Amino acid sequence: MDTEESRTEENRAGDAERRKPAISLDRLSSRYRLEFEELSTEFHGKCPVAWNDTHGGYWFTSGHKELFDLARRADVLSNDFDVEGVRRGYQGISIPSPTGERRFRGGFLEMDPPEQRYYRQALNPYLSPAAVQGWKPVIEEITRACLDEKIESGRIDFVDDLANIVPAVLTLALLGMPLKDWDVYCEPIHAMVYTPMDSPLYERVRELQMTMGVHMMETINGIRNNPRPGLIDELVTCEINGYRPDDMEIFGVLLLLIGGGFDTTTALTAHSLEWLSEHPDQRERLSRERETLLDSATEEFLRFYTPAQGDGRTISQDCVINGTEFKEGDRLWLSWAMANRDEKVFEDPHTIHLDRKGNRHNSFGLGIHRCIGSNVARATFKIMLTQVLDRMPDFVCDPAGAVHYDTTGVINGMKHLPATFTPGKRLGAGLDETIAKMQRVCDEQRLAEPVTVRKARAKLDD
Amino acid sequence: MQVRVDSDLCQGHTLCAMAAPDLFALRDEDGHAYAPDENVPAAQEERAQEAARSCPERAVQLS
Ligand code: HEM
Ligand code: SF4
Repeated sequence: MDTEESRTEENRAGDAERRKPAISLDRLSSRYRLEFEELSTEFHGKCPVAWNDTHGGYWFTSGHKELFDLARRADVLSNDFDVEGVRRGYQGISIPSPTGERRFRGGFLEMDPPEQRYYRQALNPYLSPAAVQGWKPVIEEITRACLDEKIESGRIDFVDDLANIVPAVLTLALLGMPLKDWDVYCEPIHAMVYTPMDSPLYERVRELQMTMGVHMMETINGIRNNPRPGLIDELVTCEINGYRPDDMEIFGVLLLLIGGGFDTTTALTAHSLEWLSEHPDQRERLSRERETLLDSATEEFLRFYTPAQGDGRTISQDCVINGTEFKEGDRLWLSWAMANRDEKVFEDPHTIHLDRKGNRHNSFGLGIHRCIGSNVARATFKIMLTQVLDRMPDFVCDPAGAVHYDTTGVINGMKHLPATFTPGKRLGAGLDETIAKMQRVCDEQRLAEPVTVRKARAKLDD
Repeated sequence: MQVRVDSDLCQGHTLCAMAAPDLFALRDEDGHAYAPDENVPAAQEERAQEAARSCPERAVQLS
């Protein structure tokens, strides 16, 4: 036997030895969705870090403390997606790894520092709490218009008519894209998440994606030639560790910003409204005591539903953490969702307590890649929620019409959530007219400038 | 009681400022937190503890 081979043999024996305890959980199966609570409890007790032998094998972290100790170790973890195979061949943050045309780098989420840090420094001033403050009147106005479209009918689909639209329009505003084009992005971005490549619907999703891709490229070029404020302008002018990102790299970042913000905020809003419909007494309490309860309720919905269920990493150097022996190249899954149900940190973890204290949830991630859009997400969610509570206080969701994603191993999302309520009166213009007006406000007041340039809140009436 | 935010650990989750708005300020550019006055008034001690418990990065330090 030559030495090469015997070493491989040895490695294999070593791997079998250290890859313990072993579990077998296909996160894309219905078992993950249906037995989520039982599985969480079982793993927390038995194997907070386990070797999951599905999808090529990877470490699965479900314990809150274990996740905390791992997720912040940027020194031994990599997010890199080396699509061309020119670095170490790492596969980025998706497990299983993307195949075929889905193999492209997901912006700075699939980069490591220093490049990733340059991107965050460039984009933070557009998305910080102070920056988001300026956008609130616009978010309120778009939400108002969405509800006005349905308020007289007594029927709404909270996903299609509200939670899909507001985040989409706002994201385009932040980017500096024409607001009226929100529907170019809305359907393909959501459908991309829940339509598997072997679905008969995939062809249509692909076509929508192509249209979206062309629109993105045209906008990047358009803003390069005719600058207008926003995240895209920053991307075409910024310097990342001494280089100017090319069009493909900007494309990836743009898709990350759009994809990162749509489906997650929609998922949070839909699930929360569904729960409030099932708990009318809690809904009344939340509405009545919103002054003290809205913040903690928002964090609790984030914890409980964890819209982005987890993210992958690659171990970038051999290390031992809390007794687990990791080897360079091993894949790792950080289950934000299961860590959020760890009974060692959250009392009564599988129940929603709107006034939960010390809610150290991981729904926006941990460490250097922590969600850069969390302030946008919270503001959008709170505005949508409070306007629904004010204008449709007796809404009842229709369980027969509610459609949850088949697989929730990546995004815990919803496709539809129809509801009925006592009809009310319109307060203002419809959606198209409102979007046109918001476009003028964005342009005239240069709302999409970073907070370092512009601090004032949007003014809607002149 | 004294409160500090470890700026190497803070990632700008903003939960500290939600729990104790009078003790923490968030930087305009990136939302990272700092304590403008490190001395915690007696009446705010409970809130300071709640902020420390809520910080996902464990960046809020009390002494
Ligand atoms: C409720 C809504 C949201 C949830 C639950 C959520 C969740 C997350 C999580 C868990 C991460 C960390 C991923 C990792 O460590 O692998 C992340 C990163 C990110 N999110 Fe969000 N997100 C939300 C909304 C948004 C919004 C509205 C935007 C855009 C405006 C956004 C843009 C991003 C970006 C760009 C990153 C990558 C940051 C980096 O790699 O440095 N997200 N998000
Ligand atoms: S909660 Fe922690 S991480 Fe977040 S801003 Fe406050 S100190 Fe920073």
